[in-house]
Amino acid sequence: MAPLALRLTRRLALTLFVLWGAATLAFAGMRLVPGDPARIIAGGVQANATPEVLDAIRDQYGLREPVGVQYVLFLGRLLRADLGGSYQLGRPVSSVIGEQLGPTLSLAAGAAVLGFCLAVALALLTAGRPRVRAISRVLEFCSISTPNFWIGILLLAAFSFRLRWFPVLGDEGAAALVLPCAALALPIAGVLAQVTREGLERALDQPFALTARSRGATENRIRARHALRHAALPVLTLSGWVLGELLAGTVVVETVFARQGLGHVVVAAVRGRDFPVVTGVVVLSALTFSLINIGLDLLYGLVDPRVREAAA
Amino acid sequence: MSLSDDTATRVDDGPVRKRRSLRSRRPAVLGAILAVIAVAAVVLVVSAGGGDERPAGRAAGGGPVAGGTLTYALAGTQVSLDPAVAATAVTGLIDRNVFDSLVAQTGPDTFGPWLATKWTVSGDGKTYTFTLREGVTFHDGTPFTAEAVKASLDHVVDPATKSAYAASLIAPYEKSRVVSDHVVEVTLKRPFTPFLQALSVPYLGIQSPAALAKPVADYRPVGTGPFSYVSWEKDKRVTLRKNAGYASPPAGASHQGAAYLDTLVFEFVPEDATRWGALTSGQVQAIAGVPPVNAGKLRSLSGFTLNSQETPGLNYNLYLNQTRGPLRDVRVRRALSAAVNVEELVRNIYFGHFPVARNPLSRTTAAYDPTAESELASYDPDEARRLLDEAGWTKTDADGYRVKDGKTLTLVWPYWAEGNKEQRDVLAEGIQAQAKLVGIKIERPAVDTGAFVGKYLVGGGYDLVDVSFARPTPDVLRFAFASGNTYAKAGGNVALVDSPQIDTWVEQAAETSDPATAATDYAAVQHEVLRQAYVLPLYTPVQLTAFSAKVRGVAFDAQTYPVFHGAWLEA
Repeated sequence: MAPLALRLTRRLALTLFVLWGAATLAFAGMRLVPGDPARIIAGGVQANATPEVLDAIRDQYGLREPVGVQYVLFLGRLLRADLGGSYQLGRPVSSVIGEQLGPTLSLAAGAAVLGFCLAVALALLTAGRPRVRAISRVLEFCSISTPNFWIGILLLAAFSFRLRWFPVLGDEGAAALVLPCAALALPIAGVLAQVTREGLERALDQPFALTARSRGATENRIRARHALRHAALPVLTLSGWVLGELLAGTVVVETVFARQGLGHVVVAAVRGRDFPVVTGVVVLSALTFSLINIGLDLLYGLVDPRVREAAA
Repeated sequence: MSLSDDTATRVDDGPVRKRRSLRSRRPAVLGAILAVIAVAAVVLVVSAGGGDERPAGRAAGGGPVAGGTLTYALAGTQVSLDPAVAATAVTGLIDRNVFDSLVAQTGPDTFGPWLATKWTVSGDGKTYTFTLREGVTFHDGTPFTAEAVKASLDHVVDPATKSAYAASLIAPYEKSRVVSDHVVEVTLKRPFTPFLQALSVPYLGIQSPAALAKPVADYRPVGTGPFSYVSWEKDKRVTLRKNAGYASPPAGASHQGAAYLDTLVFEFVPEDATRWGALTSGQVQAIAGVPPVNAGKLRSLSGFTLNSQETPGLNYNLYLNQTRGPLRDVRVRRALSAAVNVEELVRNIYFGHFPVARNPLSRTTAAYDPTAESELASYDPDEARRLLDEAGWTKTDADGYRVKDGKTLTLVWPYWAEGNKEQRDVLAEGIQAQAKLVGIKIERPAVDTGAFVGKYLVGGGYDLVDVSFARPTPDVLRFAFASGNTYAKAGGNVALVDSPQIDTWVEQAAETSDPATAATDYAAVQHEVLRQAYVLPLYTPVQLTAFSAKVRGVAFDAQTYPVFHGAWLEA
């Protein structure tokens, strides 16, 4: 158990480093973009903020301090896990994020589950079967190369506007979640299905598959119980990429489907130089990324005994 | 594997005995069929749950029916529901239903009583005394008194409020004094006739002093209007509920008493196509911002109505920075104006839904002078070329652009993508192409908000800037052309006009109590800015709103905001 504990400690230390790096990049990014932050916080281009209002904003958020001092103060607050208050919304960042996290999580989780299930089902059914595989590959390439935005519009036009099966508005209940999840999941499923199928086909060509067949195992049993496990490793590795896709995709999907969520929040915050909110979302994303990667690391061991033994 | 009667497990064991080849195709076919059935079942279950949610039908008849929910989908997002803070049009539109104003704008330059039953203006034009309506209460139960007026106005001008717009409307405000429970006296630093118009907009709606006393983080909009605030789900929707005790509609309202609708919901739907589909499939009852390309189609669909409202105030205009480069020469400014066939471009891009503008003011604004357009350098490419020759831009380079002293005639028009709407980028491309025909090169660097404000609007590094500004008063001419109203000073003078004569006209018009003098002054400004070609008018923005035919009784106020007080849903 000791090596595992050691590994975990090292990973957690690395996570802290990643968080620091992400927060610093967010700080630098928000300071490097041109323009007077006070004016943008005051409401952007349409705003007719008077010089007095701009001064009040500079005082309140310490924008007059040198950048170095601002950075140290910022890190100090971050160490105390104090994300501060949103400039634009006048509320604590934690409550802004907390409020929007639910809809984004359900969307991302739904899409991830749907994407993985679709991919595995497609791969299991089409691996090593040239004719269905050809059809499936065409569909996969279509879904990979179509932007979320357009998939979303097409799904809405067909299933909401014409057939009226699903509502376009309202995030109550599962019905409103189906189309956005599908729009987000399809491109992911396309990539994962290809990777999984390739892994499956390689596994099915290996001697152990032949051995299993000679023992009289059914084709489905060989695929689902023996080969899938071998194909799972590259898919696990791709999970980090999936998380990135989900984060980027939610912004677009939330816009098309008029949903609440972090995507909206972060876009509005970047536009409005709402620095505390941007930092909050960046730190949260970095944390999620790191934790998921640690989780995946542990999963490798579970899926593949060889990894477990090598580590021990 | 498991004892459940899951079909998938049975299939797994099925074909064992009948296997003919090592890789049978049958499981795949069976699996596919099962998958289709499973998906269909899920779809059926889910869609059965989200059945028809329309309110139960009521007896059909002619008159208004009380009850029901109206959902209005609109684009745009907002950062605050406090009208004193926010500058966004969406906030004004929503808050209009929550807040009443002191006075109501009843025509281009006429005002009627609302929360103030009458008012007097002192001889020097600096003191306004309002007598307030009695027996009105805020949604939180606080009685409406002179204290509330004082608290609301003081709240707007307080720098801590960080007002992005409202405070600029009443810049000359000095103080309010409570004379008695229902009489309040407002003192201005200088005479300012647009004051009543400013008071009539939702951004200066009267708020409950009890609600304003709470910390900013707990802010809730509490007014005396026909609807009270229920909830705001950020970037999703705002829900309002009927104020059953409402009895203070503005002068000229067709409906008295409480609103008919039980609930009014504003849904934020940023994507045009989604909004349009939501209306045509009956999921919302009204949408704002109908794309002009769809507006024509709507006329042919039964069951929907289209409403178009020309916005008052400044048209969508192109402003020519007269302090920089070639545009310092009035002949070059007039040449640019004459080079562009605005009429053809606007007609082609907007399918005739947006009126072509020939005056910086829209025609629904008070003091609009139709004769001013005689000063406009109208489309005439030959005249444009002649003016350029006369101004010394006689040579041309290899690309056909005019050259003088080795310099190409180049104008910088920053493109701020975030602010782009109504296909203004397409219109700009048309202008660019037509300017090229006479030898003027227009560059459009794409810039983000920070650079747009810092480098261009405040820094002054531009030759052309396009903007529209809706506000139903000719005082917008002071906003757009007075030398003290540059962008850096919270104004809209982006042509950087610096003319003592124009300053005199707009200041006098804002201070005089004589409407005839004001009209003459405003007319003179319109003539002068077109003669000097500080501005090239393009089109009048039109609010295109589409309703389901079931929606009745929606009115539009002077600012072209929909008023839902008298709205009702046909059964």
